[in-house]
Amino acid sequence: MLSEIKVALRGLAKSPGFTAIAIATLALAIGANSAVFSLINALLVRPLAYRAPQELALLWEKFPAQHLERIPVSAPEYLDYARELKSLEIGAFHYADLNLTGGDMPERIPGAFVTPSVFSVLGVAPIKGRTFRPEEFGEGNDNVIVISERLWKRRFNSDPEIVGKTLPINGRTFTVVGVMPVSFEFPIPLFNVQGGIFGQQVDIWKPIAFDKEHLESRADRDYSVIGRLKPGATMARAQAEIDTITSNWIKQFPNNYNPMTRFGASLYGLQDQVVGGMRTALLVLSGAVAVVLMIACANLSTMLLARATAREREFAIRVALGAGRGRLFRQMLTESVLLGLFGGAGGVMLGVWGIDLLRGIGSRTVPRLMEVNLDFRVLMVIFAISVATGIIFGLIPALASAKPELTEALKEGGRGSTSGVSRNRVRNALVIMEVALALVLLVGASLLLKSFVRLQNVDPGFDPKNVLTMEVSLPAAKYLPGRPVGDFYAEFVRHIAELPGVEAAATTMILPLSGTNSDSSFSIEGASQGQTRVFPDEEIRVISPDYFKVLKVPLRAGRFFDQRETADSPRSVIINQAFARKWFPNQDPVGRRITQDDPGKPDPKWMTIVGVVGDVRHRGLEFEPAPEYYLPHSQLPYRGMILTVRSEQDPRSLANAVRAELRRLDPELPVANVRTLESVISDSIAPRRLSVVLLSLFAGVALVLASVGLYGVISYLVVQRTHEIGVRMALGAQRRDVLRLVVGHAAKLVGIGSMIGLVLAFVSSRTLSALLYNVGTFDAPTFISVTIALIAVALVASYIPALRATRADPMLALNHNL
Amino acid sequence: MIRLRNLERSYPLAKGKFFYVLRDIDIEIAEGEFVSVMGPSGAGKSTLLHILGMHDHGWTGEYFFNETAVHHLKAKERATLRNENIGFVFQQYHLLDDLTVYENLEIPLSYRKVSKNERSAIVADVLDRFQIVAKKDLFPRQLSGGQQQLVGVARAIIANPKLILADEPTGNLHSSQGEEIMRLFQKLNAEGTTIIQVTHSEKNAGYGNRVIQLRDGWVVEAKSQPTN
Repeated sequence: MLSEIKVALRGLAKSPGFTAIAIATLALAIGANSAVFSLINALLVRPLAYRAPQELALLWEKFPAQHLERIPVSAPEYLDYARELKSLEIGAFHYADLNLTGGDMPERIPGAFVTPSVFSVLGVAPIKGRTFRPEEFGEGNDNVIVISERLWKRRFNSDPEIVGKTLPINGRTFTVVGVMPVSFEFPIPLFNVQGGIFGQQVDIWKPIAFDKEHLESRADRDYSVIGRLKPGATMARAQAEIDTITSNWIKQFPNNYNPMTRFGASLYGLQDQVVGGMRTALLVLSGAVAVVLMIACANLSTMLLARATAREREFAIRVALGAGRGRLFRQMLTESVLLGLFGGAGGVMLGVWGIDLLRGIGSRTVPRLMEVNLDFRVLMVIFAISVATGIIFGLIPALASAKPELTEALKEGGRGSTSGVSRNRVRNALVIMEVALALVLLVGASLLLKSFVRLQNVDPGFDPKNVLTMEVSLPAAKYLPGRPVGDFYAEFVRHIAELPGVEAAATTMILPLSGTNSDSSFSIEGASQGQTRVFPDEEIRVISPDYFKVLKVPLRAGRFFDQRETADSPRSVIINQAFARKWFPNQDPVGRRITQDDPGKPDPKWMTIVGVVGDVRHRGLEFEPAPEYYLPHSQLPYRGMILTVRSEQDPRSLANAVRAELRRLDPELPVANVRTLESVISDSIAPRRLSVVLLSLFAGVALVLASVGLYGVISYLVVQRTHEIGVRMALGAQRRDVLRLVVGHAAKLVGIGSMIGLVLAFVSSRTLSALLYNVGTFDAPTFISVTIALIAVALVASYIPALRATRADPMLALNHNL
Repeated sequence: MIRLRNLERSYPLAKGKFFYVLRDIDIEIAEGEFVSVMGPSGAGKSTLLHILGMHDHGWTGEYFFNETAVHHLKAKERATLRNENIGFVFQQYHLLDDLTVYENLEIPLSYRKVSKNERSAIVADVLDRFQIVAKKDLFPRQLSGGQQQLVGVARAIIANPKLILADEPTGNLHSSQGEEIMRLFQKLNAEGTTIIQVTHSEKNAGYGNRVIQLRDGWVVEAKSQPTN
């Protein structure tokens, strides 16, 4: 075997051009496979970084009648679940950024409020100190924090005495009790689920402190719940217990759980919630790289077949000297497997680069993307792929070479016509297959690309250009609820609006397309839903007066909020057109009133609709705008708001001025998540971008490989037919006749390949339907244009050797001696 | 018909030197002649034939074909002139393996823009003239060497050339088959076709009326002779 490897290595070194092209082809294909397999490994195969993650589940509530699915739970509900569930240990959490002061600069740190049980449910131990004790929970018992290893290293220089130290956060003092390892993944990376955010890891955990107001309200659903099955328990039993608890509530609290809403709660396995939404895209991508690999194999097979023909004499001599068929077969396979392994090594290098590319494209918005790497499992798979690839592409040439036409091959100048014909057939079939497969990938990529372009061109309902956004939150210890919060923001916005270069400034509770959402139920004055008592529920926003001016959302009727909306004035609301169409069809909604209170109760707080604005796409560019209603911040003063600033120039240039203004108002207030509105939109389509970029890349590789394959086959054909071409030229064939002969042969192969490819593309494009926006899976213009483009590229690839053929010297072709 | 003046053909060697294949060739061949070019291997016989056939363009000097100055023509114009006037017969026949006898005969016509119907008529006529109608659907490998060369000659004359250039036309044939081919050339010559053949065989040269002897690229002798 060793001697065969030595001979094979010598053979490869003898033809460096062939070897380099073969390795590059394989490296491209195996590199694509290793990048996608790393992705699949990190997202689907590798378990989540929690203890026994298969036992973890999320608990979401639902009000199907109001189309509310997978919503968080309220404080009293959580406490009921925690007390009554026997099969499940649960913990609650919600994310809240915290203002860490005490250093040179106040800093806004991503944080989470959690019940002490969250750590034990997730089963991750601290690297220093401890997590929260059961009694460190609730108002007055929450002055402890756990920090992340990241924060410990970055901000505290890995201070070994950190545990026990106190930190000023949100105007209060907290004692650090533990440090969580950097591998502790929090937030839980949920995909397309409310509260699902990625990229920004939590650095401070603080115990939840339910206050009296929270403990009395079953409607304030702010908490996500994660649970772990207790030993011996099953998901079905836990779900049955949940069903019992929720049906008891319906009886016990009829005012909170109207039977018409069909209230309930469900458990969802964590793994599925984390990456379920990426599964289709991953399936498509893995199909794509498999196709790329097949094309590469076909390419290599044709190259090796050509090489085998050139070495026919060598093999014949070996046979004449006594080499058995098995020996020749093994020799050829050794060479191809070696090529496979070299290609695999190149693929690993390309894979490393590919993974960096993946992270760059979507680490903020695609769950677990930061975990993608080439671990031992991925390397083993690449090794297996490399060996298998070497065997697959080496098989046909090895079989062909193992039975050389002895007498023909040993004759000087003999042409071995019979085996040549069958090899040509195999070579032609391989090129047809390459063209067909490349077309399938090109059609898929083009469909996705078209869909992506259409999505990017969707009017979001606002103008994202030149808008800067940043998050600010006022600590409760310093700013009392109500008017102080409202006044601060009003003053802050006024100062920012006066900055040079600022066109308008405003605040909002949430940004469109940012992945977060908020909804609330309401009643319409005089509407009949009072009898059914199922209140409609729509998306709600809290904004300051100039929000629509900043985002350039058009006014359709009535007016925007202005100085008339004060804390004491009658309450106002602005609705969007979708809201007006749904709830006030063929009516003028301006002047009508709605309330968030139960209108059946005495003295509900009515809000008068003062304006109707244009629709804004909030959940995603691909989703139709939902009905929304906007409340003025002056009348509902939220602590955590997002500042939006429309600038006359590049909005990022304003960031420092805005920060300085905020520092002047309150030196302890940090800002977080400073980004432009355009980047918010860009992030919102990042998962799609990931699929589009990858599939386009793979389709490009496929096109290049198929073209190289065709080029190789036609080049070989030209060499093989030099004699024939020379005779034809001697008989009067002109340049165009030779071009027609050679390109015609290529056109025949490409034509057959395209026909087969079109059929395959028709069948396979259906798998893309879930990833397409506003483009049919059988989009005729895409199919036609891609086919034409492929044929054009393929013909250009064959034109080059054809041109060479026209330069054939009839004298040489006719074995002319001087 | 053909007039060569100071024709030379050389190949560059290292250090700016040249290797001359043909030197200072002055030849005139009149229409209706049957000329044999003879000489030892490497004398430049085939090179001369390929220059006459306008396959080789790397020569210097003057070449007049029917008073047309070939040395002033562009490659495309030479190809047209060749297609209109010259037919070739090769030692190795050079029939196209994947084409039938019929298709091999048709090829030169297809390169001369002859219509399909006309082609059929001409091919049928030639098949008949060479008495190979029965072979028309056979592939070259199904024919004997003599039959293949017969098809080769038929292919050479199918476009009705004024000149046939034959490079060792009987070199690969049994002597009786060789004689048959030479008699065919004689007949074609008698019908008015000018023939120039390269040959090593004195006997074959005897079928022509003039011999040109080449040695090391020079014309050493050009004499007329009585035909066999």
